[in-house]
Amino acid sequence: MRPIGFSTGALAKGDFACGVQLQRGVDGINAIELSALRDHELVPLVEALSTLDLSGFHYISFHAPSRLTSLSEEKVIGLLLSLPRSWPIIVHPEIIKTPSLWLKLESRLCLENMDNRKSGGRTLTELRELFASFPDATFCLDAGHAKQIDPTMAMAILMLREFGSRLRQVHVSDVGAAGEHLSVGIMARVAFSRLAQHVPSSCPLIIESIIGSELIRAEVRSVTAAFERWLSFDAPEASDAAAN
Amino acid sequence: METVRAIEQRLGKKWVSISGALVATNQLLDALRASVADLDDPNYSIIVTGSLGRGEAGSDSDADWMLLLDGLSNPDHAAMTRTIEARIRQVVPNPPGSTGTFGGIVVSHDLVHYIAGTRDTNENLTRRILLLSESRALTNEIVRGRVIGNVLARYVVHDRSVPSKTGKQPAIPHFLVNDVVRYWRTIASDYASKMWERDRKEWGIRNIKLRFSRKLLFVWGLIASFSGELFPTPELTTAKSDDEYLRILSDVIRQQTNVTPLELLARVVEQAGDDQIADEIFTSYDHFLEVLAGQDTRAALQSVRFEDATSDQTYDDLRETSRKFREALVKLFFDKHQQLPRLMRDFGVF
Repeated sequence: MRPIGFSTGALAKGDFACGVQLQRGVDGINAIELSALRDHELVPLVEALSTLDLSGFHYISFHAPSRLTSLSEEKVIGLLLSLPRSWPIIVHPEIIKTPSLWLKLESRLCLENMDNRKSGGRTLTELRELFASFPDATFCLDAGHAKQIDPTMAMAILMLREFGSRLRQVHVSDVGAAGEHLSVGIMARVAFSRLAQHVPSSCPLIIESIIGSELIRAEVRSVTAAFERWLSFDAPEASDAAAN
Repeated sequence: METVRAIEQRLGKKWVSISGALVATNQLLDALRASVADLDDPNYSIIVTGSLGRGEAGSDSDADWMLLLDGLSNPDHAAMTRTIEARIRQVVPNPPGSTGTFGGIVVSHDLVHYIAGTRDTNENLTRRILLLSESRALTNEIVRGRVIGNVLARYVVHDRSVPSKTGKQPAIPHFLVNDVVRYWRTIASDYASKMWERDRKEWGIRNIKLRFSRKLLFVWGLIASFSGELFPTPELTTAKSDDEYLRILSDVIRQQTNVTPLELLARVVEQAGDDQIADEIFTSYDHFLEVLAGQDTRAALQSVRFEDATSDQTYDDLRETSRKFREALVKLFFDKHQQLPRLMRDFGVF
C-alpha cells in the first residue's frame, strides 16, 4: 500500500498536535508530514516530538520553515539536525541563504519545486542549478506547484525523468493563482494522473489540500485514484473519484 | 545569438548591425523591466513583441506590448494598462501600431481556446503567433511560459483528429505547421489590404519588413514546428506513452520560443554547413537592420512613393538584398539542408 497522509499544516494551521490527531487512525493514512512552515512553530514542534503519538505512520517527513523572521539559519539547522535521521526535511529553496549550512543535512535535505510566487526552484532549469549545488539532496515534487507553472504537466514529467532517482515524496494539492493550496479537483486529478507512471508505488504522497476534517477520507481517495492510473474526463475512475 | 556570432567569426565577417541591435534591445529590455518592476502580479505578465522580442530593436523602434492575463479577472486591470502604457512610453517614446492589436489586455483563454474556427480573429491569430515567435516578458516570465505551454499543448497534444494506424506519433505537429503557414499568408495578404486602405502610406518600409523581418517569423515558425526532427532530445525517444511523447514534443517546441528567430535560423544554417548560404542570409539581414537603424535611410524608406520604387536608391538596394536573402532561404529549405527539403515537401505544401 502506498504511503499517504497529510501535512499537519494543511489540516490544522499552526496546531501540529491537532494536525496529527485528525489523521491518526484514519483508514488508508499511514504517512505524515510534520509542518513548521512558520518559524515560530519550529521550536515548539521539535520540543513536543517526544510527546506526539506517531505510531501508525510508517513514513514521517518534516517541513522546515518557509521564511525566517525570528530564527537564524544556524539555529534552524541545529534544530533540524536534531531530528531523527530517517526523516526527510522538506525545504523551500528560497530560504537557503548560506548553502554550507544546509549541506550539513546531506541527503536529508529534500528540496521542493516552487510556485509562481517564488523567485527560484520553479522550473526544470532552476531545479537543475539547485541540485548541482546540493548534489546529495533529495527531491519533493510538489505536483500542484508544477501544475501551476505548467498545466500541461510536461515540465513535471521532465522533472521526474531527470530527478526521479532523488524523488523522496510528492506534495499533492491543487494550487491557485495566488499560490493557495486547494482541494484536488477533477482538473488536478487528471493532470496528476499523467505523472502516475513516474511515481513509484512506494513513494509517499503528502496531501497539502487545505480542507475541513470531514473531507479527509474523500481527499485521500481522490489523490490515491489520481496516482494509481491514467484518468481522463470521460473515464469512470475520474467520475467515481469526483463523486466520492 | 551565440550561433550567429560563431558563424560570423568563422566567416571573418562583421555583422555590426545584428550585434548592435542585440545590444540596443537588451538595454531597452533592461530599462523597460526596471520601469514596470513594481507592477508585477501573479495573474499576468507584461509582454513585448516585435523588434524587442526578436533582439532587433533600435532607437526608432516602438514597443508593442500586452498585458497577458492568465488568472483572476479584475476591473483594475484596465487602469493598470494605462499605467503600463505611461511607463513604457517613458522608455520607448514611439507608440505601438494603430491597429489596436497591442497596447492593452490580452486574455490567455482566447489564445488557448480560439485557435482556428470562427472565433479566431485576425487579431487573435497575430497575438498568438507573435507570442510564440517574438515575445519577451517584462514581468513574470512564468506566466508567459505557462500560456505558451498551453497554446502549444493545443497544437501538439490535443491535435488528434486522425487516430494513428501504427501507434507511432508524428514528430511534426500538423496543426501548428498549418497555423504558421496561415499566419505568414495572412500578413502577406494584409500587406495588400493595408496598401489599399491607406492609399499606400508607408508602403516602402512595410514592403521591406515583409521581405525580411516578417519572413523571418515564418522561418522561425517552420523551424520551431519541425524542431522534434531538427533538435530531437533523448527524452523524446524514451517517452513512456504517446501522450507523454506529445507533451515532451510540445516542450521541445516551447524551448524555441526563448530563441530569437535569427538565432534559430543560424542553428539550422549551421546544420546545413554551407558557408555561402550563411553569408548570404546574415549579410543580407545585417544590411536590412543597418538601413532601419539609420535615421536618414529609415526616413527615406518610410517616405518613398510607390511610383519611385525603381528609382529610389534606398528601397531598390534593399529590394535587391531581399532577393539574395530569399534565394538563400530557398536553397537552405529546399536544397542544402539534410532534413528540411524532405520536411518541406512532406508537410510544408500538401
